[in-house]
Amino acid sequence: MNLRPHHFLLWAAFIALMFAMPQFVGNGTLRTMIFACYLAIFAISWDILSGRTGYISFGHPFLVGIGAYTTAILTRRYGFPVEASIPLAVLFTMIGGLIVLLPALRIKGSYFALVTLAVMELMYQLVPVVRPDLTGGTRGISRLPALTRGAENGYYLAAGLMLAIALFAWLLMRTRLGTALWAIGMNEESVRGSGLSTTRLKSFAFLVSAAIAGLGGAFYAHYLGTITPRAFFDINVLFQIIVAVLIGGAGTILGPIIGAFFMVFMLEWLRPFLPGQERFFVYGLIALLLYMYQPKGIMAIIDSGWAKLRGART
Amino acid sequence: MMQIIIQGLLLSGLYALIAMGFMLIFSIGRTLNLAYGAYIMVGGYIYFWLSQQIGMPKVVGFLGAVVVGAIMGLLKHRLIVKPLKGDPVAVEISTLILAVIMQSAVVLLFGDASKILLPIIPGVVTISGAQVTYNILAATVMSWVIILALYAFIRGTHTGRAMQAVSMDQKGAAISGVDPDRINMITWAISGGLGAAGGVFFASYTQLSPTMWVAPVIISVAIVIVGGIGSIIGTLIVAHIIGFLEIIVVAVWAPELRGVFTMLLIIGVLIMRPQGLFGREEH
Repeated sequence: MNLRPHHFLLWAAFIALMFAMPQFVGNGTLRTMIFACYLAIFAISWDILSGRTGYISFGHPFLVGIGAYTTAILTRRYGFPVEASIPLAVLFTMIGGLIVLLPALRIKGSYFALVTLAVMELMYQLVPVVRPDLTGGTRGISRLPALTRGAENGYYLAAGLMLAIALFAWLLMRTRLGTALWAIGMNEESVRGSGLSTTRLKSFAFLVSAAIAGLGGAFYAHYLGTITPRAFFDINVLFQIIVAVLIGGAGTILGPIIGAFFMVFMLEWLRPFLPGQERFFVYGLIALLLYMYQPKGIMAIIDSGWAKLRGART
Repeated sequence: MMQIIIQGLLLSGLYALIAMGFMLIFSIGRTLNLAYGAYIMVGGYIYFWLSQQIGMPKVVGFLGAVVVGAIMGLLKHRLIVKPLKGDPVAVEISTLILAVIMQSAVVLLFGDASKILLPIIPGVVTISGAQVTYNILAATVMSWVIILALYAFIRGTHTGRAMQAVSMDQKGAAISGVDPDRINMITWAISGGLGAAGGVFFASYTQLSPTMWVAPVIISVAIVIVGGIGSIIGTLIVAHIIGFLEIIVVAVWAPELRGVFTMLLIIGVLIMRPQGLFGREEH
């Protein structure tokens, strides 16, 4: 595992900082941060599969959506308590993802991206049509039971969930399993050549990624209180998740979190200057330029800046 | 019955046209150009702007759309694809970002509400009991003309054959004296122009809206993947399979299920036969 004392110190400082936030900022900012936390969870989930193994998933909103819809249907239509519906949502996301996307792991590159994109679009078209009495059709499901009240508690929940998931992902990636996933991204043939079952590894990455997406999706649905097909199975949701990972830095744990906060807050800060649609135009443009400038994201920019600073000092 | 056949033929012609431009780029670079939908959208809007808001003749509007599409294709190759050195993942993601940027640019310029395009040629004709507007008929005839011209160009001219060579083996083509860079640029420009032309017809078939780019991209992806990379005939055949599939589902089942079978077809074919029904083996 190769854990060092300073790792624990850094994590403790990070967790303390996140939990101290409500003391310094107002409720409006907290609500923005809640959204950033959930986006970070989805981004971490995407990164575990796509950022590590290089299999680009264009269908992640599909997994998030299954989690959200499962808990919504169970609580609203069948009267399940939240304590039971959220674990079930995670389970359903894993099963759903497994059935639909596991065959897709046999194919590579752009084809994998395409199958996942098709699955997401299929879901968007099916959800309003199949059993509208359960899914609520295009209008979705509203009045989901809330888990917490007030911005502050909502923030503690979202930030706690995000930190727990980030810590879990960080520990997982430090095991030999994490290294093997990395290696698949580098060269799949040679991983298979060294006697590891790449299919098993990829399925594992997929399951972990699906479980995190389902967990995040379920909590997010309860936070929002209302879900609709367009709010989940949409290419714009996909865009936000992928951009958060790439801007932050794929293949790192902190990267997706930084990316999610950066993108969400940039959108907020642009609001006073550009109230309308211009905001999304500028937002997309900044994302594209940043990506073209450094495809490895903010983490790489910080790293190289840090290296330069240290180089200058010695 | 006649209604289904005629509508199926009309829709399939349109889909074939849209898929052609996408197929060219996919076969030459193996990259999913998600911004292809942006050409379709921009084509439709440029036509709308020139012919309906400024009041230019429709031909000018159409040509303007094609030229803008071609320029977009060129710019994209110069500014995004070349600097990324053709890394497929990076190109896919940057095209996704670009498509979303174009979407918000369209909202910025034309507003959020969807717009109806006036028929390119007004009037209705009845063919054996089926009502067909001249507009859609013209769109289908035009797409067939464009497809046949493209086929002749790719098969018959030196540049077209060079495009095929580059799509099969970039290095081999370079050794035989073809400049892959120049061919790439030509292909991107043609693809952009085709996308914009398809966009004008597609917009007149449905309507103009800032989110109209998603559906055609997925349909062209489906057609190209199922048809097989680099096969014009495969693209044509599968465009008809998907066009008829959609019309039949709408006619005998439910309009909401329109896209469902298309998606199932893509997923099924990709998993069973990743090289497509009519494509060549990839090594």
